[in-house]
Amino acid sequence: MNRKRTLFWSILALTILALVLTACAPQAETVGEAEPAAEEAAAAPTEAPAEESSDDMSMEPIKIGALAPLSAPGAVVGGEAMRDAMLIAADVLNARGGIMGRPVEVIIVDTEGLPERGTAVVERLINQDGVVGIGGGYHSSVGVAAKEVARDNGIPIVFAETWNDTITSVQYDEIFRIAPLSSEVSAVDVNFIQWLRDENGMKLDKVVILTENTDYGIPAAENTTALLDGAGIAAVTFSVDIGTQDFAGIVERVKAESPDMIVILATGEASYNFTQQAADAGIGPQDVPTMCNQVSLVSDAFWVNVPDGNNCFVRRIGLPQKLYNDVAQELVAEYSDRTGKDDIESYAMASYDSIMLIAQAIEDSGSTDPGDIIDALENINHMGALGPITFPINRSNTPEQAGVDPKWWHQFPDPAITIVQYQEAGQDAVDTAVVYPDVYQTDPPVIVGQE
Amino acid sequence: MNPTAIYRVAGSIAIVLLLAIPFASSELGGVGPLVLSSYFMHLAITAFFYAILASSWSLLAGYAGQFSFGHMAFMAIGGYTSGLIGKFFRFTTAPSELCTDIPLLGNWWLVILNIRRVGTIDESCLDMARAETLPAGTLIVFPPVWASIAMGLVMGATFGLLVGWLVLRLRSTYLALFTIGFSEILRASISAEIPITEGQSGLELVPLFPGGLLGFTSTSKIPPYYAMLLLFLLAMALMTWLAGSRFGLFIRAIREDEEAAAALGVNIVRYKVLVFVITSTLAAAAGALQGHYIGIITPNTLIILQMSLVIAMAVIGGLENIYAASVGAIVITFALELLRTSINIGPLHVDMTLWRLVFFGLLLMLTLRFQRNGLLFPILERISRGGVAEETVSIREESEEDWEEEVEVDQLEDSPSDSGEESAG
Amino acid sequence: MENAAIFGWALLWILFWGALGGVVTPRIYARKDLEISQASFGGAVIGAALGPFSLVPLWIASPKITGRLIGIAIAIVIGIFVASFALADPDNLCVANGGFVISQLTNGIVIGIIYGLMALGLTLIFSILGVVSFAHGEFYMIGGMVTYFMSAVWLPGVSPLVAILASCIVTFVIGYIFERIFLRPMGSGEIERPTEYAILVTFGLAFFLQYFTQALTSAVPVKAQRFFPFPRVELPAESGTLLKMTPGNVTIFDAISVPNPRFTAAVLALIMLAALLWFLYRTWVGKALRAVSQDRQAAAVTGINPNSMNTLAFSMGAMLAGLSGASLVQVFSWLPQVGIPAAARSFVIIVLGGMGSLPGAFLGGLIVGLVEAAGTGCIPDATRAAAYIPAYSMVILTLVLLLKPTGLFGREL
Repeated sequence: MNRKRTLFWSILALTILALVLTACAPQAETVGEAEPAAEEAAAAPTEAPAEESSDDMSMEPIKIGALAPLSAPGAVVGGEAMRDAMLIAADVLNARGGIMGRPVEVIIVDTEGLPERGTAVVERLINQDGVVGIGGGYHSSVGVAAKEVARDNGIPIVFAETWNDTITSVQYDEIFRIAPLSSEVSAVDVNFIQWLRDENGMKLDKVVILTENTDYGIPAAENTTALLDGAGIAAVTFSVDIGTQDFAGIVERVKAESPDMIVILATGEASYNFTQQAADAGIGPQDVPTMCNQVSLVSDAFWVNVPDGNNCFVRRIGLPQKLYNDVAQELVAEYSDRTGKDDIESYAMASYDSIMLIAQAIEDSGSTDPGDIIDALENINHMGALGPITFPINRSNTPEQAGVDPKWWHQFPDPAITIVQYQEAGQDAVDTAVVYPDVYQTDPPVIVGQE
Repeated sequence: MNPTAIYRVAGSIAIVLLLAIPFASSELGGVGPLVLSSYFMHLAITAFFYAILASSWSLLAGYAGQFSFGHMAFMAIGGYTSGLIGKFFRFTTAPSELCTDIPLLGNWWLVILNIRRVGTIDESCLDMARAETLPAGTLIVFPPVWASIAMGLVMGATFGLLVGWLVLRLRSTYLALFTIGFSEILRASISAEIPITEGQSGLELVPLFPGGLLGFTSTSKIPPYYAMLLLFLLAMALMTWLAGSRFGLFIRAIREDEEAAAALGVNIVRYKVLVFVITSTLAAAAGALQGHYIGIITPNTLIILQMSLVIAMAVIGGLENIYAASVGAIVITFALELLRTSINIGPLHVDMTLWRLVFFGLLLMLTLRFQRNGLLFPILERISRGGVAEETVSIREESEEDWEEEVEVDQLEDSPSDSGEESAG
Repeated sequence: MENAAIFGWALLWILFWGALGGVVTPRIYARKDLEISQASFGGAVIGAALGPFSLVPLWIASPKITGRLIGIAIAIVIGIFVASFALADPDNLCVANGGFVISQLTNGIVIGIIYGLMALGLTLIFSILGVVSFAHGEFYMIGGMVTYFMSAVWLPGVSPLVAILASCIVTFVIGYIFERIFLRPMGSGEIERPTEYAILVTFGLAFFLQYFTQALTSAVPVKAQRFFPFPRVELPAESGTLLKMTPGNVTIFDAISVPNPRFTAAVLALIMLAALLWFLYRTWVGKALRAVSQDRQAAAVTGINPNSMNTLAFSMGAMLAGLSGASLVQVFSWLPQVGIPAAARSFVIIVLGGMGSLPGAFLGGLIVGLVEAAGTGCIPDATRAAAYIPAYSMVILTLVLLLKPTGLFGREL
């Protein structure tokens, strides 16, 4: 009896302690949200921005919000990479002396990959933390939901990795995007497949597409199928639930279709699971030309999960590493230092740029008024890690006036897209051969399975 | 003072406070900016949403003993029904000829839109009809939000009836597994039937008050706050009344001993099904309202971890008391949200985004092990008893006594208890 | 699907007469004062099999509904189902392509054996404690994680057997500690509705373990290398039409192909199964376990301590889950969330096999493996076949719970 009561009260005391902690949270939050995992250096600007530079840095910081999925069911790997890159952006800005002499605070929030969470955290960033702009963003469904909150509050968002066309095609003043358009990415995939057929003499009549039943996977598969159809190539789509582990049945069905090529649009571990299980069944990347999903560019994880993944073609967003500009090279150096990775993921790079873009827009307009920032973003010419970033289709040059599809609204027009290929087992993503397009080609493609 | 009276006074004060929150002025000391922000309002709305779910689950599990793990499924049924009606149904004053037309009273027609292909921006049949067949001046009216929410309730009740009837024979483990199965099938279907439900990208719902309300815009948090609060209070009132009525007595009798209750003339079938219908309807109502408030609903709300969140709220609050469960839900919603922060304990850097859930799971286990009545219920109880020596009266009898007003406290205090605290020590 | 209508009507026929048989038969049997425990389920399957042609004789003659009768009826239902499917969609791979069918069957059996091993742990726990552990999937996940970290990070190059052993020890110990602290008090008889509270506390454990692992390991998917790659063999040499082995795959008769990791996992599962049977039927402790599962009081009288048997059963059940995780971590990419679908599948299997029945769990595993293979293989719409994978086994679960909650080998409720 006594023991039990003691236990109860100690639990109660713990809870109360937790609640007291909560009560202090409003002060503690700013420290916490921009939380830098293990990297202590990254914590410095957010915790004590005043220490490093001159006195005027002690002014009230300019706050920029940042969206990233940091817990399941979101894509945590992607989210963590984006978080690291955005924290670098905060450090770089503060090391330069902040924006307009004021320190910068990047507040990173966890969207969990859920639209409803996305709505909540954007709401919080705007109304609780008082951010003047928001960068990052990974899941399209979160982007679709978040854009509404941004519009309601008139706060600009620069999306770094949400591909869904509708995000820009609704033409909200507040929404900018430096990620590629889903439909344009599909076009590159299909151009590449046609190029394989026409220029490399590959037999290509039938393609199997493996996609995931998400807002990214379904439209992407539809676009690709339509474009392939136009090129005279038949396509069969298999759509899987993102949690699927066991692909044995699907692999057999794919095998029975005897495709000339396999295109994997499913992301995350589903992509790894399918590729390796297909390889085990004898229709892997070393047996049939396969376009692996871009998560395969995280080479450490790729080779652990897909030991038989050699000869995968992978679509790569952004320039090849050999062609990086100075901004990108500095970023990669810093990023490698902190994370131990050799290269930076395209979305991490874009996240970095999204923060820097907002920073420059504030500098350009000389104001932290969101309306002024939006004006500045429309006219921006920013040298980012992705290259020179502009938004040519905007309120002064509407899609109707320019005669283009509304999806180009506030859209960074040319994120470079290349196709690379692993040509040696265990190869690092940095060393992969660029096979397409011709301008960037470093090696000819290795085409397997041809008679 | 009489405990019932204390409950009433405390309850009234709480209600007045909840009603007054949106009017709090920013000069209200340090809490001002936090309380006033629409972020706080958002949290409060979410907290009420979870409070409805947790307390209705506590009625189902704690009172009636039906440990269902499919409560979130009914929530989703409410939200999706309301959303699908908004997506596919329109009222017009002339038949569209291109869609499915159902004649209604007068010259009004109910038009059901076609299911469009995924990933395309095809025109809907009504858009084409507007260009071709519909006569000029035809009115096209969206179904009102309250009506689609009401349909969500009806669907929730229907599925509650169905599931309640199907699980009549199943007990404890079997019931738990069946409800999980039901929930998972629903989740897989919603994810897979993308042309209808939009799958993982989520079904978008119109705002709760599309045109705003009383000068508040459609994005203001204040009308949804009152809507959710109203639903919460109504749900609590309904459940209080039910728990205190013969219904409450009967379902607890069924929980304790089904055969004995049947032998005493309790219509087991009717009450078991009824408790499912009522709690599912409440969950569906909460789901529909929350869906319209957030503006989007996804199948991920059905994942098992979401269900465990609701269970944990009810358990930590107090499984066998609807008030404790709802207070538990409100406290935990705020705690989990505000604990999304990282702390430094000396050189140790702890990222609370994940660790808070680890501790939360641990707290749930410890509560179940050492304090089965929940962490909040004993506190509520202590307050209501005004410091009178406790422990001699079993918790459950105590809570029952609140509903059975004719039973005097003194009588109960004399009778030794057979459950709860004492014997478990 | 060319003649979808054929299949649709057959399905409707089965459902209609099945429902009618299930509802009416027990009433008729009750009126005739006959045994009705099997009448509902028996009536349903007999009605579904031949409709009025079997129901009318059944109602008139009202024979004792035996297991054999039900077995025949089920066989007929499956026959009608398959035949109408084949008629409706003659071009379907499942109908037209023999090699495909055999490959799918093999896949289903191989994966079913591993499912069976995992479910065995769950059913062992249920038979002794009377509780379904909702944390079973998390033990599975931890088994895989420990195996991966042992063989790839902590002691690179260590024999996979050592890594598997380590995962067994870890899951056994976690199960032991949890049972002693949290479950034993629940079963002490001092608490009302111990089953429900025990379910809830395992629910809490699942929540805790999953997030704890995620906090420790981050969310990058991992995967162990093949434990025992095949040698390269081709029989007859060069053409390999009879038997062809590559490190990752074995192909027999040019048609049936089994990937190496699955093959290894299934063999490991069979070895473990044999070891488990030996333990349960040949050792004193194993016999004591079975005695407790049959009659706690009687076992206690003979000097067996039921409490320590509870602990042993729970830790062994956890270990079996860990073991199946350990053998599958070379097949699937591993994340802290992998346990959820695996646990759901185990629930289906033990319900199907009959809660607490060891042979039932194994047979149930095979059936679920086959149904999933058939579902993914045969559903004509390629975009839906895979999207519904999580639902196939859940449909079995709901059907069994509704029609025959005792499952294949279960004791009466």
